[in-house]
Amino acid sequence: MQVSARHQKHRLATLVGFLPLIIFLALLLYVGLNAPNFMTVVNLKLVLAQSLPVVLSVIGLSAVVMAGGDDVVSGGIDLSTPATAVLCAGIVSVMTTAGQPLLIAAGASLIACMLVGVVNAVLITRLRMAPLLATLAMFVAVVGINNVITARKRLNLAAESIASLRQDFVFGIPLGILLVAVLALLAYHFLHRSKWGLNLQAAGGSRDAAEISGIRVDRLVAQTYLLAAFMGFVTGFFMLARANGYSPGAQDNLMLEMVLATFLGAAFSPRRIVTVWGAILGAVLVAAISIGLKTIGVNVFWTDLIKGALIVIVVALSAISERVQ
Amino acid sequence: MTEAAFQLSGIVQTFPGVRALDGADLMVRPGEVHGLVGENGAGKSTIIKVLAGVYQPAEGRIEVGGSTISPATPEKIRDAGVRFIHQELHLVPYFTVAESVFMGQEISGPFGLCKREMRSRAEAFLREELGSELPGNRLIRDLSPAERKLVQVARALVDGAAKVVVFDEPTAPLASEEVLKIMTAIAKLKTRGIAILYVSHYLNEIVDICDRVTVFRQGKNVAIFDEITTDTGPALVSAMIGRDLDAFFPTSSRSAGEVALRLEHFDDGQAFSDVNLDIRRGEIFGIAGLIGSGREELIDALYGLRKSQGTLTLDGATVDTKTAAKAVANGMVLVPRDRRHDGLVLPMTVAENATLATLDENATFGLIDRGKARQVTEALIKDLDIRPSNAQAVTRFLSGGNQQKVVLARWLAKSAKVFIFDEPTVGVDVGAKAEIYQLIENLASEGAIILISSSDPVELVGTCDRVAVMMRGDVRTIIEKQDLNVDHLVAVTTGATSVSETEHAS
Repeated sequence: MQVSARHQKHRLATLVGFLPLIIFLALLLYVGLNAPNFMTVVNLKLVLAQSLPVVLSVIGLSAVVMAGGDDVVSGGIDLSTPATAVLCAGIVSVMTTAGQPLLIAAGASLIACMLVGVVNAVLITRLRMAPLLATLAMFVAVVGINNVITARKRLNLAAESIASLRQDFVFGIPLGILLVAVLALLAYHFLHRSKWGLNLQAAGGSRDAAEISGIRVDRLVAQTYLLAAFMGFVTGFFMLARANGYSPGAQDNLMLEMVLATFLGAAFSPRRIVTVWGAILGAVLVAAISIGLKTIGVNVFWTDLIKGALIVIVVALSAISERVQ
Repeated sequence: MTEAAFQLSGIVQTFPGVRALDGADLMVRPGEVHGLVGENGAGKSTIIKVLAGVYQPAEGRIEVGGSTISPATPEKIRDAGVRFIHQELHLVPYFTVAESVFMGQEISGPFGLCKREMRSRAEAFLREELGSELPGNRLIRDLSPAERKLVQVARALVDGAAKVVVFDEPTAPLASEEVLKIMTAIAKLKTRGIAILYVSHYLNEIVDICDRVTVFRQGKNVAIFDEITTDTGPALVSAMIGRDLDAFFPTSSRSAGEVALRLEHFDDGQAFSDVNLDIRRGEIFGIAGLIGSGREELIDALYGLRKSQGTLTLDGATVDTKTAAKAVANGMVLVPRDRRHDGLVLPMTVAENATLATLDENATFGLIDRGKARQVTEALIKDLDIRPSNAQAVTRFLSGGNQQKVVLARWLAKSAKVFIFDEPTVGVDVGAKAEIYQLIENLASEGAIILISSSDPVELVGTCDRVAVMMRGDVRTIIEKQDLNVDHLVAVTTGATSVSETEHAS
């Protein structure tokens, strides 16, 4: 009797775990029925191209969540990545507009971005601040600095080579998509198929278990914040390419989509945990929804409401499925 | 006589105000299962932490495999082949068995993790060394508690370098039929010549599995049993409790009234099942039971802190206590075991804490009448002799005993009918203990119904009229006043009963 009760619970938990995915697919289906052109190959390419910055930033975020644990309040999270990305875009734009070579500009922004990562790591692993608060504060601070640097003005792309991320093709595949695919494969390998990655997951799954097993948890956690900052740096270039220059305020939407994609991605994994590949699929799905809603003419402001509501649903369902288990 | 696998000699370990270990010795030989028993606070867990290198003792020597380790750090102890199976499981629920076994010592090749090799080696280890057929790809969260324990054991031993294994209460969270799996694994390890230190409160297991037993009391080894026979059970009990019971319990001339509180078919589907109890007005009723017996869970369930099924009848009427708020509204109050977390709001004053549950009575139109609240508190401070006798003192700075009195004061202000005390004197000094026992006695004399859940047999015997003993989720027996003595209670609680019952009969 107890066994069957356990089975029922298990089945319920599985169902709850799948719900976010079902909701998303239903939404996509709705869009597809209302805009017949939506489900075409051309549009798929557009969706992929549009999703690149989110894909890059969720690689960093999923590593952070894997190492810090997936509890939304006390676990690992890095909300500052979108700010780091626009910081990179801002610094590169301002410096190249002023005539500096791209390489120098990229170097300067890399230093700035990694500094954000170091501060995050120190706040969280040394001062033991809650990641949610620490990185939210960093998000606000970094956006502030960036506004000082760029004077909150739109800047057109000065370094033409960045545009090749959008325009160039290799073997018929857009260069940007190819590069991100390579990075995603690397991330998958190191986070899911290496000792380092498994230790990372152990740290996030049970800090005590990891420490007893001789894993240096704080060091791993710090490394994930550095990785997230680096991914923010890379994201910056893809944002420049996508928007053909620096446009202020891009961080807000990125943050929303990044968080949504990462936690939505947990629904793809059989163990219902945050994974890199799940987060990447989530990012593509989120981009598809964004474009889809635009295609059927939903007001932009309503889109934000829908995305916010989706975050609440996804996170609430993950909490419920955990409780049922 | 074989050489010792490890030997601790003359260990002295002090903490501020306490001499936790006072010249303790412990020696275990290769290929033996050595039991370590003692009451709470006897120094068992301290000596294990000394052996683990967590504490650096003030005096004494630690030898493993014939060579002295000094200073003993956790790393050196581990390198010497000593492994610990902690009481807590510390496993990641969504990891597979193989991933858990190899946590921190993963096998990886030039192309990343060798998942298949980890799986087959984990399965082989579990089968050959621990006698378990667990599949390596099963997720931890789908395993039974005993299977999880085996995974934990495999993780500690899979590197093959273990010479000494310390099991700390390995069977506490397990159901009776699952205990066998752990016993099988330990028997297998023993045949490999590994020295096993087995720490447990369950004396029946100790008698079943151990070759020798060391008894700790008051920070010292007071007895070593080199041969274990059926008579060892009672002998262990008397060695554990000693003969120095203090007479600080109140004397009582109460006589209990009619049955006033009735528990019927309480069941949480997990920690306890079908608990039925009848408790009388003016009675002090004790509940005994080790960790894992369901005692703590039952108390939580009674107070709506844990989901359960069952009927609770108070004075003939069925009472809903499915949430703590309803329990309080129906006159049932809890003095929780962890008063610093659950009992008090530490940064608040004595007055604020004492009137927390009666704010309505001290307020007009939602505004708190501070003067009235202070008057109420001052009366309570006087009644309970809370020190310092200052309603504005911050509770964080009170001693343990006085903090406990503040918790009690809150419920006295509420004039409750049923008082549930969960570990009423943990962390309370001897003098304050006596006062708290007297307060409980007074409440009972005034007709309150008192339930005491405690892990201290001396406390239960000293205060209670009757004691229900829980074991692995069931109420095994209820001991009446005339049969209530510490020996018998400890024997029943720890499962050494079978021995002592035959003794009773003869």
